[in-house]
Amino acid sequence: MTQAPLGSIVIVGGGSAGWMTAAALSSLVESKDVSITVIESDAIGTVGVGEATIPDMLVFNQMLGISEAEFMRATEATFKLGIEFVDWGHKGDRYIHAFGQHGVDMEGIDFHQYWLRLNRDGGTAPIEDYSLSAVAAGAGRFALPDPNPRSVFSHLRYAYHFDATLYARYLRRYAEKRGVKRIEGVVNAVHRTAQGDGIAAVTMDSGAQVKGDFFFDCTGFRALLTGQTLDIDFVDWSAWLPCDSALAVPSAHVGPPPPYTRSTARPAGWQWRIPTQRRVGNGHIYSRSFMDDDEAERVLRKGVEGTLLAEPRSIRFKAGHRRQFWRGNCIAIGLAAGFLEPLESTSLYLIQEGISRFISLFPNGDIPDILRVEYNRYMQKKFEQVRDFIVLHYVATNRDDTPFWHYCRTMSVPDSLRHKMELFRETGRIFRYDDELFARPSWVAVMLGQGIMPERCDPIVAALPARDVANSLQSMASAMKDAASRMPTHASFIASYCAATEG
Amino acid sequence: MTVATLARQLPDTVRITLAEIDRDHRCADLFYGTVSGPGSYAFNLAAGVTEPALVLGSSAAFSWGSKYVHWAEGGRSWIQCFNLTLPVIDGVLMHQYLVQQGMTRLDPFLLGAVAGSRGTFAHPPRSPGAAGQQPLARAEYGYHFDPASHARCFAAAVPPRRIHHLKGALSRVGVCDGVITGIALDGADMVTADLYLDCSGPSAELLSRLDPAWLGGRALQISADDVAEARLGPPVRSVSFHDQGWAAQTPLRGSTRSLTVSDATASCNARGGLSASATLGRRRRAWAGNCVGIGHAAGIVEPLTPAPMMLLERDIERLMTLIPVSTASMTVEEREYNRRHGEDHHHAMRFTRALLETSALPDSDFWRAARDTPDAELEHKLAMFAERGLLVSYDLEPFHPEDWLIMHFGIGRRPRRHDRLADRADAKRVRRYLDDAAQQVANAAAALPSNHVYMTQLERYLRQDPRK
Repeated sequence: MTQAPLGSIVIVGGGSAGWMTAAALSSLVESKDVSITVIESDAIGTVGVGEATIPDMLVFNQMLGISEAEFMRATEATFKLGIEFVDWGHKGDRYIHAFGQHGVDMEGIDFHQYWLRLNRDGGTAPIEDYSLSAVAAGAGRFALPDPNPRSVFSHLRYAYHFDATLYARYLRRYAEKRGVKRIEGVVNAVHRTAQGDGIAAVTMDSGAQVKGDFFFDCTGFRALLTGQTLDIDFVDWSAWLPCDSALAVPSAHVGPPPPYTRSTARPAGWQWRIPTQRRVGNGHIYSRSFMDDDEAERVLRKGVEGTLLAEPRSIRFKAGHRRQFWRGNCIAIGLAAGFLEPLESTSLYLIQEGISRFISLFPNGDIPDILRVEYNRYMQKKFEQVRDFIVLHYVATNRDDTPFWHYCRTMSVPDSLRHKMELFRETGRIFRYDDELFARPSWVAVMLGQGIMPERCDPIVAALPARDVANSLQSMASAMKDAASRMPTHASFIASYCAATEG
Repeated sequence: MTVATLARQLPDTVRITLAEIDRDHRCADLFYGTVSGPGSYAFNLAAGVTEPALVLGSSAAFSWGSKYVHWAEGGRSWIQCFNLTLPVIDGVLMHQYLVQQGMTRLDPFLLGAVAGSRGTFAHPPRSPGAAGQQPLARAEYGYHFDPASHARCFAAAVPPRRIHHLKGALSRVGVCDGVITGIALDGADMVTADLYLDCSGPSAELLSRLDPAWLGGRALQISADDVAEARLGPPVRSVSFHDQGWAAQTPLRGSTRSLTVSDATASCNARGGLSASATLGRRRRAWAGNCVGIGHAAGIVEPLTPAPMMLLERDIERLMTLIPVSTASMTVEEREYNRRHGEDHHHAMRFTRALLETSALPDSDFWRAARDTPDAELEHKLAMFAERGLLVSYDLEPFHPEDWLIMHFGIGRRPRRHDRLADRADAKRVRRYLDDAAQQVANAAAALPSNHVYMTQLERYLRQDPRK
């Protein structure tokens, strides 16, 4: 390796991870300075039908400079205002974890403390009634946020649902226009550098050898470069996240697409419903320690609302991440880097973070070790933060009706999560860490939604007259409801803004 | 400060007793330094101390920050000013463009630095819209203060009859099973409470009985002398070093305070002023059982930066967010409080320690001892900035990325490379943008009145009607 700039980058594997990486890098470097090559094979399938995202996806699209409407048309995307969780805390329960804030913080005290104050005195509306995103989601309505911070519509936050295969195709076109070269074929062999700590080249099934200064391992669960060649081991989190299989299948719509994802708890896992413009992505994630594949498929079929458009496809996985994300001259992105089930739609976010961090650390050929240390520190933290939030959904439950839920309810959890849960349960308080992906409203939504009800509220709020608090909250809820009623329906907004062209 | 905050924010159903023990705090309080950060305005307000009250009731003056004299590489000086987030241009932090353009100075883009060097001041506008876009709107300010007159201001802000006030010598502290069971002043009856807040300074009269362990090392001596001044000096504290320590000159209203810090074994230079010594560090548990140590009772940092006052304010704010909801068990609150107290203390020490990473400082016993604290996270921060201009941040740091950036540039640290995303922009346009931005800052700073004139007019205005 030298101090000369990187001259060639090879991305092994396409799919969302590969093409997001290629697109981001191609937007950054001139193809005459750095060649970017994507190796992918049409023979190797990619994971996912409907993909749900979080609002950070807007930042990624902005970085690429792509038009939202064009992107949505091309990927048959719909808008997403949050996730509806069904049967998680108790059977029969439902709540929405919506994007954005609940209500308005007052006098420097978190809004949810005021909500707890009213709730203590005999109940109030669910906390989601104070979130514009949640109210609009429930009403099937959508509008873009208003940049004016004084407008109630400025409270809206949104993300997308889209077809992951179309997304990869869209990004491929974007990247190829910017000089990214695509090689079709299967990688037969991976060659280490002479020092053994990096990748020198890959050999294709055609016999051709592709060399590079830097490699991205986007080969999915196989982790061909980082796992199989560089022998980076895997940090296994399956004790906290016991689901290890998924069955995915698309179905036809049975009504207008709702502007939210639905996640329904099942006897040994959960089922997703992700509406895109033309179809609905469905999937059943389950633990084979608690349910066999045949039963899992029956559960999936029974839970799908519309006509199935294909046969269910099976996916195996293990929760966790590679101990090092970056070793030598190779970075694992996407499923090669790690897997956390898509309960909070964080898969693409973790890809995005991996790419962004690499760009901010963009190395020369010499690659100082400190860059790898920083990248690995940062990505491990991101994975752990997301893990804690996902584990929360499993452990914060009162369900005990199946062995799976009994296991989840009683399992030990990471100390970092236990601390957060105890603090909320006993004091009603949440402290977000600085750069944590999920902010306070998210933790509050899920903890309250799944039945962690603090016994007390902040003593300062507790001393306020109940009537004053009730009036404030009532006016907030009315404002949210009124604003939502003035928004167009989700379906009509899509029709006028980004309807997919006939394909 | 604790009493005023509690009195303002806790409901009347909570009884507050101030047991003021016979002790002169003026000396130990010198370790709070003489300058506070931009968070002080909101903190003070929450305690009932408005800015007019502070101006009229104490010797406080406005501060853009601190000038570190001949402190940087090559013996240069810089003003470590307070500033809001610098602009993000096309998704890239502004300083990356400076590195790309080979520009080595950040201060031309910081109104506090430019105005500080000119000795001018005006309040930054906080309104949205056109005023919010002015260079002045990105500046932030803190206060120069004398801890004793600062404390009097807070005492005056306590609502009448809200607290029960006792005075006397501390004659007894009852301790049983890891909790305080009561205290007595002058041999009177024991006073009991659900929660005890120890604001007794480094001796930590209550907390030390529950948690005697002090994590620290270096012992410092601090002395202060005030020189009367008819004219208010610049809105910048000036810090300079010498072989045996450092000295700061802080313009206050009516005087300039000279603060001298040296090794605790050095002979005291105070010319009839105040002096004190203390061991830097912190108590292992700032909250133990039913007792919370506030300020120096829980930790002491060197007042080379605004960290001491920031930490004191954070102690009180942290307490307010964790006021126990039940007296039956406070272990959850205690654990969270101690976690965050420890983090805050580490971060403050780290920022102070980072100021010492310059070859301009002497190779004397004092400075060698000051640097003799390895910190892997600091090394990582410095290395990442040196490599890529990357500002690595950890959770809930009291000093913001801008503070670090201003320090890095001020000391003369230069990233080897910039963020490649900066290359997407047209270099000539970037240069034009930066030149325009610097010119706007220079123009804005030149239009401000001198600190003395501004303060004089403000005082006159406030004295007409202090409610304004």
